[in-house]
Amino acid sequence: MEIKTGEYNVWNEGSTIHYEGTLRLSGTDAYQPILELMQAVLAEKPQNMVLDLTQLEFLNSSGINLLAKFTIELRKHPELPVKVLGSTRIPWQSKSLPNLQKLHKGVELVIT
Amino acid sequence: MADLGRLGKETFVNGSAAMPPVKGGAFTSFRTKFIALIGATVLLSLLVGGGVGLWNVGKLSHDASAEIESGLTKANEEYLTRYINMTSQRATLMFNRTFDQVTGLAKLSQSLIDNPQLNQDLNAFLEQYPGFSDKMTYNSAANWMQNARGEPSVISVWGYLLDENGRMRPDVLEAVRNTQFFDLVVPSLMTSGQDKLQMYYVGPKERPIMRTMPYSDQAQTFDQLYPGNNSQNWWDFFFPGVYEAWESWLKDPSTRPVPTDITVLSPYVDAITGKLIVSYFHPLYTRSRDAVAGMVAMDVTLEQLTQLVEDVKIAETGFAFLSQQNGNVLTITPEGESLLGLTEVSATGAGVTGHERSLLKSTFKDVASLRMPRPGATTIDHVTVEKDGKPMGLLVVMHPIEPMNMWQPNKGIAAENLMLGFVVPDSEIYASLYGAQKQISSATNSIVKGILASVLGFLALVLALSIPLSRRFTAGLVNLADAAGRLTRGDYDVQVPVKGRDEVALVGSAFNSMAREIREHTEMLEHRVAERTSQLASANDEIQRLYDKMKDENLRLGAELDVARKIQMMVMPAQGELERIPDLDIASYAEPADEVGGDYYDVLYIPGGAKIGIGDVTGHGVESGVLMLMVQSVSRALYERGVTDPREFLDVLNRSIYKNVERTRTDRHLSLAFVDYADDAVTISGQHEEVIIIRADGAVERLDTMDLGFPIGLEANINDFLASTTVPFARGDVMVLFTDGITEAESEDGRLYGIDNLVASARRSHHEPAGLIAATIIADLRAHIGKQKVHDDITLVVLKHR
Repeated sequence: MEIKTGEYNVWNEGSTIHYEGTLRLSGTDAYQPILELMQAVLAEKPQNMVLDLTQLEFLNSSGINLLAKFTIELRKHPELPVKVLGSTRIPWQSKSLPNLQKLHKGVELVIT
Repeated sequence: MADLGRLGKETFVNGSAAMPPVKGGAFTSFRTKFIALIGATVLLSLLVGGGVGLWNVGKLSHDASAEIESGLTKANEEYLTRYINMTSQRATLMFNRTFDQVTGLAKLSQSLIDNPQLNQDLNAFLEQYPGFSDKMTYNSAANWMQNARGEPSVISVWGYLLDENGRMRPDVLEAVRNTQFFDLVVPSLMTSGQDKLQMYYVGPKERPIMRTMPYSDQAQTFDQLYPGNNSQNWWDFFFPGVYEAWESWLKDPSTRPVPTDITVLSPYVDAITGKLIVSYFHPLYTRSRDAVAGMVAMDVTLEQLTQLVEDVKIAETGFAFLSQQNGNVLTITPEGESLLGLTEVSATGAGVTGHERSLLKSTFKDVASLRMPRPGATTIDHVTVEKDGKPMGLLVVMHPIEPMNMWQPNKGIAAENLMLGFVVPDSEIYASLYGAQKQISSATNSIVKGILASVLGFLALVLALSIPLSRRFTAGLVNLADAAGRLTRGDYDVQVPVKGRDEVALVGSAFNSMAREIREHTEMLEHRVAERTSQLASANDEIQRLYDKMKDENLRLGAELDVARKIQMMVMPAQGELERIPDLDIASYAEPADEVGGDYYDVLYIPGGAKIGIGDVTGHGVESGVLMLMVQSVSRALYERGVTDPREFLDVLNRSIYKNVERTRTDRHLSLAFVDYADDAVTISGQHEEVIIIRADGAVERLDTMDLGFPIGLEANINDFLASTTVPFARGDVMVLFTDGITEAESEDGRLYGIDNLVASARRSHHEPAGLIAATIIADLRAHIGKQKVHDDITLVVLKHR
């Protein structure tokens, strides 16, 4: 599955979801397609799950809300190991991603 | 509906206006074309047929003309050749008769010379008869002797033959006596044969006495016309060279140009008679034939020859002429002379007056370059002359007559062929040819006229027949054209009458069914247009209704937004409220990205302290604004209830917001931090952006709040994540609180403003009052953003310890 525009690109390779570019969609409704993609990957009941954010240059607060909501949903699958990949190069990630770990202990945060 | 129907009809009318008119154009109607085609076909075939006929007639007439011309030319030439030969023979005969008489006289004279005794006896005998003895008298004035008038012949003895006493030398006297036979013989010769002017005897060079029959004042005339003749030898004076030529002939007869002794003088004007004459000389020889002994001669006028020549009549104006070999024309009619462009000049010779009228000097080039025929041959030439200013073709036939010895002044004796020439105008020779050609031409003309008349007549007949025929043929098409015109004008009920079963009838049937279909289609179209128009009208009504509704809702929505925004602005702390806080100089700046912002900040005053909150609701717009209002209200309530513990404060706030978010299904949360000031210290709690403190000495402290709290409204219980930290905040210290709308503001080239720029900007102006610091930061931020779109709400709060 892949959602692609001139500004951003979200796609999955198996249970790894890649985020790329700038996500500045207005409101939760606008993020619905991306959420559906993530839920679809989750619905496949994978052995593990990886959210690769290393190429996501910008994510606005609605996008962060999306990640938080998805993380809360992941708590219903405590057996599923989740890895979130971030980059120190991108300011918002080190600021916002730790909250995901706070929400769900099963989230392994790797910021490199 | 009515509008659309009319529009449709107008389109059809315009379509017909663009079509060429069916009737009226010269070559547009099928019938005209049909007639033109038939006319052209018939005309073409007739013209081709007529043309071939005309060509054949032309060729025939040309061939006939050529045949006739060739035949006529041959016949004419044969006729002329025969005629000129005959005339030539007649001329020769004429000359021969003269020659015969001269020869006769010469033979008689010669025989007397050869028998001197007989001559003496004859003379002695004759002297006994009156009239035969010459009574010579001496003319002392002129110094010559001549017999008296009344004698049959005149005898002149020149001065150089007399002695000093004016008496004849004895040999001369004898010679005179020896010529007395002349009076006996010559009169009979004179009256017989050809008309002769005179016959005469001239003695040998040593005594050139001259006896001439009939008598004339010979010596007197000579003295008058030829002065000096009496003092020079007669032969040398009058005919130089003749005598010597004869002497050479005597030695070798083969040197004669023509094998006869007769010598002819070229025509000249006779001194005595004044007539144009020709003289025939016959030499006499001594008995021993060793010397010339004078001559007998005869003068003949050219009249007889002229008569012969003038008697020649060919066609209407054809004539003949006689010329010498050198082209000198001897006899010709005045008309002929003029026609051939000849001019007469008199040439004076030594003793006689010559005659010059040469063809070679004709004023016409063709005539001047005429070639002379060879002896025995006949030439036929066509020449062009000019008569009355118009060119005129002449046929010139020439034929030489028998050659003769001819003496000419300064030239001596040479063979001479006199030329007989016939001249006939072409128009007369070819009169019959021209007549035939004229007849052929007129016949051709009448044939041409006949062909043309038949071509035109047949064409008229064909056209006359094809017009009603074409009317029949094209009636169906005309009906069709009319019907199509009516159809074009919107008469969809039109039908054409269909007769017969030809293609036109088939087209007619097809047209009828087409017209019916068009009528049905048109009716259906009108029906459908009406239907569609009605649907459109109702849709339009619906649209209008919806539009009105939307306008209402929009207004209402606008009003609601206005209200929300006003409420939001109203709950923001007023500047006056901020100034009530004794220790703190507070300035704020808030600019929502939409009409209603999602950022939150508040300053709550308590005696001896203050609580400053700053937060950022995810998203913006009305829902974010409402969530912010809730946060503000709950905060206010908690504050008023005296909840001072920062963790408790945040915990209760989170619970109430979380429950409200759940109830309202608002998919939002917020970051939120509080700064509590009291007694030169600040306690910071809650998770939000970094808190920047610029100390009075310019030192910068950046306090991370990530571990001091958790997003509000996301989790039901965040108690475990809550914490607080307390730092000193003394006089001159500056605190900067902000939302990510500032640090993540993009420049035109996509760079984020960032916290470092914010810190630098605050530090640059930290000694200023809070209001100026905030203004400096915002100005710097504005400069950074430039014309770039502002994506997020921007909120800035600056606190400065007084």
